[in-house]
Amino acid sequence: MNFDLSPEQQMLADSVEKFVSDEYDLERRTQASKMRGGFAAERWQQMAELGWLSLNVPAEAGGFGGNQVDTMLVMEQFGKGLVLEPYLAHAVLGLGTLLRAPARSRRDALIEQAMTGATQLAFAHAETQSRFDLDNLLTRASADGPGFELNGQKSMVINGGSADTFIVAARTSGAQIDTAGISLFLVDRDTEGLKVQGFPTVDGLQAAELTFEGVKLDETALLSPLDAGWPLLLAAAMDGMLALGAEAVGAMERLYKDTVTYTSEREQFDHPLAEFQVLQHRMVDMFVEYEQCKSLLYRATLEVATQGNAALRTVHALKHYVGKAGIMIGENAVQLHGGMGMTEELPIGHYFKRLLVIDAQFGNSDYHLQKFAEYSQ
Amino acid sequence: MDIKLSPEDQAFAAEVETFLTDNAYQPGTDYNAWRMDWFAKAQDKGGWDIPKWPEEFGGPGWSPTQHYIWEKATAEASLPWDLPFGLSMLAPVLMNYGSTEQQARFLPDIRARKTNWCQGYSEPGAGSDLANLKTKAELNDAGTHYTVNGTKIWTTLAHIADWIFCLTRTSDTGKKQEGITFLLIPMKQKGIEVKPIITLGGSHTVNMVHFTDVEVPVENRVGEQDQGWTYAKGLLQHERTGLAGISKSIVALEKLKEQAESVSVGNGDLMDDSGYASKIASLEIELMATEFTELRSLSSAANGQDPGPESSILKLKGTEIQQRIAKLTVEAGGIYSAAWGGPRVGPKFANSGMSGYLSSRAYTIYGGASEVQKDVIAKNVLGIKTSR
Repeated sequence: MNFDLSPEQQMLADSVEKFVSDEYDLERRTQASKMRGGFAAERWQQMAELGWLSLNVPAEAGGFGGNQVDTMLVMEQFGKGLVLEPYLAHAVLGLGTLLRAPARSRRDALIEQAMTGATQLAFAHAETQSRFDLDNLLTRASADGPGFELNGQKSMVINGGSADTFIVAARTSGAQIDTAGISLFLVDRDTEGLKVQGFPTVDGLQAAELTFEGVKLDETALLSPLDAGWPLLLAAAMDGMLALGAEAVGAMERLYKDTVTYTSEREQFDHPLAEFQVLQHRMVDMFVEYEQCKSLLYRATLEVATQGNAALRTVHALKHYVGKAGIMIGENAVQLHGGMGMTEELPIGHYFKRLLVIDAQFGNSDYHLQKFAEYSQ
Repeated sequence: MDIKLSPEDQAFAAEVETFLTDNAYQPGTDYNAWRMDWFAKAQDKGGWDIPKWPEEFGGPGWSPTQHYIWEKATAEASLPWDLPFGLSMLAPVLMNYGSTEQQARFLPDIRARKTNWCQGYSEPGAGSDLANLKTKAELNDAGTHYTVNGTKIWTTLAHIADWIFCLTRTSDTGKKQEGITFLLIPMKQKGIEVKPIITLGGSHTVNMVHFTDVEVPVENRVGEQDQGWTYAKGLLQHERTGLAGISKSIVALEKLKEQAESVSVGNGDLMDDSGYASKIASLEIELMATEFTELRSLSSAANGQDPGPESSILKLKGTEIQQRIAKLTVEAGGIYSAAWGGPRVGPKFANSGMSGYLSSRAYTIYGGASEVQKDVIAKNVLGIKTSR
């Protein structure tokens, strides 16, 4: 049993931490969120050059050769800085899925382009009717000669507004709710019949709605085995949830620490607020929840890194806890900051908003509690 | 004990219903003209434009049951917009502590919705600890004017207000609660600067208000110098009861159920989801209890007893309920609740759900934070002695 980081992992965590503390403050983040695509292109370039985009690419292919643990280290630091660059959409969901997909020339070429950040990826799984169920798909890819014709719609695609290539989950057979009969496709942004409608989200990031009308795809567009894309889709979602969990843990750490600092300085009734026992206990509760999240994060991350999709139950546990604890910590951070907590001026409101969105991404706290319960039956 | 409505009350409820239906806004018509006409018609009914004012000031003199009927009916109808600051917060202070000149000068315009008021209470160093306020008002030697210097914060709608009612410090000796003076100050004058504060919902509702050598004639002082805290305390009670919003929450919860039914989950909808449905159920039970707590409070007030503990409970519970409704609205919207300020995507209610939820986080902060409410209950109701 050992929770220590390897020297390489420690170096990675340190360099990301330094990057975040050097490059990120609220003012610069707000500026960058207004740039094209909603983030700073030069920072994206830096991340590529530092090798962070190819963290999970095998060393022999020019990557860092890491796994979910390394992604966790990066995302936890990103969570502390509320990083805007589309690391989750591109490196975790996009590149992660490409790496798991069967080797083919288009896939191999795309991995190389994605490692440099030159081609941006996004992962399109959710649909309006699907709510949080990954296997509820109406978007359909019908056989069309050797290729396919894609029709349907995708919801709230993270980084969809600026992505160059989408990985799209579509039904190639089976019923609307069915893990069988799902396939993953590569769809370039400029493909005829694809409409991309980008918009901001409440956390300062970006998402997009996609519609596919008679989109013609050739056979190289098929990324997963035909009708058997479910394991890839699930693995991507699980990696996504781990990454979100790590990001949330980073944000929670900032929130509880900022709250302790603020209440120690702010005086009311001739005493620092932190001297009031009722507030002390509230902050202790915030800290306890943060630590419990961190434990579940380690547990889920290590299990997925060794057991893959078989660790789903623990990922449900993590996502349930992170959603619940993130909102509890966020709400109390605002409450204990009083009126100041309600302003855009302090960072805490921004962390809180990010945690709210994290709860909704890949299924909220309630959803994963139910899934966990079903799994245990 | 009886919860049945008497025949008279039933007749009143029908009359209210008819009035609200007959005077409902017709889309496409001039809104402002309708608004002023609505208040005029309500006035003709005998003080329906000022339901909470006492009869001697033109109010309708309703029984608690009638107030309850009115609250319920108007929560469902769409009333012309109205602000509480003059009507429900300042007016009771003027009625109880203002001079007859002040009453004659200010109350008619408040009733006619001609002047907009804002409330100058909180300061950067005086939030929960309101008595710690430092905005200074100095009386000149001639005794004709105060000179006001200082800063107020969280001042709702100061940017559209004509007047501000303000707590100022006139003395530093003795207890903090002593030495506070209640002043009425016109907003549109030199020396007053209003700076917007943008809140989490992204909107501009509250402000910072700076006073630099603002001269206020002594006739704008309500009551005695240094006695403002006493007047304000009564006012806080009014504010807190008004913030519970029980009737509005009952309507909002029904709307939320409809919204949840419009969200598809698997082969059904969100209300078929047992986890979500039981959260709604538990909220509804809380609301049923709180509705009766409010009725008990109304009825003891009518019997001439102090509003007492119920008022404090109502603010606590009422604001919590509003927050839970807002939270469940965000949950119902799912991932679409994250969309912000772009084109409308997903279910119709989802886009306003998030800003509603974010704003709702202030409900347990303003008008006396929940923690302070509990301190007050511990001290005044449970009789617990504290060192502070």
